[in-house]
Amino acid sequence: MRLRSLVHLATLNLRSDARGTVVNTAAACVGAAALVFFVALGMGVGQAARLMFPGDARLVEVVPGAVSLGAALGGGALDDAAVGRLRELPGVEGAWRRLSLRVPIAASRAPEGVRMNWPVGFTVQVPVVGVDAGLVASDLAPGGKFVDPPAGQAIPVLASRRLLEVYNKTIAPAWNLRRLPPGLDLVGLQIPVQVGFSIIPLKTEDKVYDARLALAGLSDRVPLYSLAVPVETVRRLHVEYGKADAGYSSVVLEVGRPDDVPAVASAVRRMGFAVDEGERAIAERVGLAITVTAGALALLALLMTALAALAIAQSLSASVRGRTRDIAILQSLGATAGDVRALVLAEAGLVGLAGGVVGVGIAWAAARGVDAAAIGLLPDFPFRPTTFFLFPPWIFALGVGVSAAAALLGALAPAALAARVDPARAIS
Amino acid sequence: MIALRHITKRFRDGERQVEVLRDLELTVPRGTFTAVVGASGSGKSTLLYVAGALDADYDGEAVVAGKDLKALSARERAAFRNASVGFVFQSFNLLPALPAVENTMLPGLFVPPGSKAPSLGQLRGRALEALDRVGLADKAARLPGRLSGGERQRVAIARALLSRPAVLLADEPTGNLDAVSGEAVIQLFSAMVRDGVTVLVVTHEERVSAAAGQVLHLEEGRLR
Repeated sequence: MRLRSLVHLATLNLRSDARGTVVNTAAACVGAAALVFFVALGMGVGQAARLMFPGDARLVEVVPGAVSLGAALGGGALDDAAVGRLRELPGVEGAWRRLSLRVPIAASRAPEGVRMNWPVGFTVQVPVVGVDAGLVASDLAPGGKFVDPPAGQAIPVLASRRLLEVYNKTIAPAWNLRRLPPGLDLVGLQIPVQVGFSIIPLKTEDKVYDARLALAGLSDRVPLYSLAVPVETVRRLHVEYGKADAGYSSVVLEVGRPDDVPAVASAVRRMGFAVDEGERAIAERVGLAITVTAGALALLALLMTALAALAIAQSLSASVRGRTRDIAILQSLGATAGDVRALVLAEAGLVGLAGGVVGVGIAWAAARGVDAAAIGLLPDFPFRPTTFFLFPPWIFALGVGVSAAAALLGALAPAALAARVDPARAIS
Repeated sequence: MIALRHITKRFRDGERQVEVLRDLELTVPRGTFTAVVGASGSGKSTLLYVAGALDADYDGEAVVAGKDLKALSARERAAFRNASVGFVFQSFNLLPALPAVENTMLPGLFVPPGSKAPSLGQLRGRALEALDRVGLADKAARLPGRLSGGERQRVAIARALLSRPAVLLADEPTGNLDAVSGEAVIQLFSAMVRDGVTVLVVTHEERVSAAAGQVLHLEEGRLR
């Protein structure tokens, strides 16, 4: 039997049993809708969480150990020698130094190049950390340099990519400041600061002078509430202000493969240093929680799809039993057992496809409804997603494919039953 | 054209076996009209199912339209039924949910792979021609439930004619028809015989057997 004949006859049969077709399509539709809805929800929430907690699975942050027995027995300060040893660990592709600036820097004027209603007398203490250029090289604006500048020139800084979101959603509303427009290109923005000045009493240094910070890019590798400057700038300022460096604040190791991270972390601990799980651990825990929840919901949806397959199996079995004579008639006209089997499977396949298409549409519409409701109900908070769902093209194929596959699976037994009809007996 | 040799067919009835056909012999020459008459339950329908390759579970030899039916696989028997045999039943055996034209098209949907299959449009054209031949072109879109008994049987005959079979096997074709409709069906059979079709009808109605060139009686599983 040719495919077009098969589809033609299956369509005629489905049309003739409109009620059964609608019930079976609805069963397939519910399974597909639930599956697509929950998988899209899991991916959407996962994407939103990754924006909030952009943990890099290949980075290990090494900090001085809580208890140190001195460099001879391991541990001790994170000095250049320690950085060298860390860089030599198997699996490590790069070791980037971080050094917190202990000279206060404060901004008491609005950044240049952007309109802001900076309150009179308003001063912001700027936490600064020095980092190796290699750590943030990929986040620099094209042509941007991240080196300690000659005296009198603006110091290049990188800000956390998330800081802009936090500023717009939290800081600006709290201080009644103008929000920065979305899509604003902040690179090149100059921030006038006072080096040595602190808003904390008695913390201002004897020497205070004006300087400028120039935004060279945005990076997820910069701590949320800090600005990153070249580590050489921090060392220069420490020398300038007589602050002795006992070692670096931390060293970020870039590991070649995420799978090697546990081994590298163990090696670091054996060296007497500690590993700051920090944001990466939070990101991992959040990611795991989302994966588990989304997986459970997807399993529930798969269960619903399986139940739909069972319902279709039951309905088709009843239909086949009721059509025994019709099947025998088709056999008398030349249908083989294979034709009869294919016919029942084709009917189920068409029902599954139709149910899948409708189900995917319902899931998409429901997702839009949930998003619209969330916009109305949830307060505006940093990183609040515009959608809680992600619909990559393959998810539509997944919904339709699983629905059709479930319907076909449910039709296997009824199809075998139909193929066993004895025409001479059934037609009598 | 139809040659049945030493055909024996048994049915299991609980613990015992019942012989419906016993060493049956039948020869129907090509292009003739043969009627087999007999009482209800005498095995007339079974004889047709054997000749039409619907039943392969028998002893003996059946050669129909040049094919030794015993030697055919299940798939080949299906292809044989599709290409060489037309069935007409007492209860019409139309699919109730399909319009007359779709019922008539059915054999064309099962053309086996390897044979030239017409398109659905061509098939519909052929079905309409067949319906026209039995005088029902104007009722092609009607469901069987909206046709009279005689009209339904004519649709069944049109369906049997679609594949231009060599053999037409009819099981009590006028059993559910009034005199006028029955006469129309008999005339259709006679016309088919004139076109070279071999017609074998099992019936217990005299008006049918009267139109046949050969009349055989089935008693106790044998033809006399």
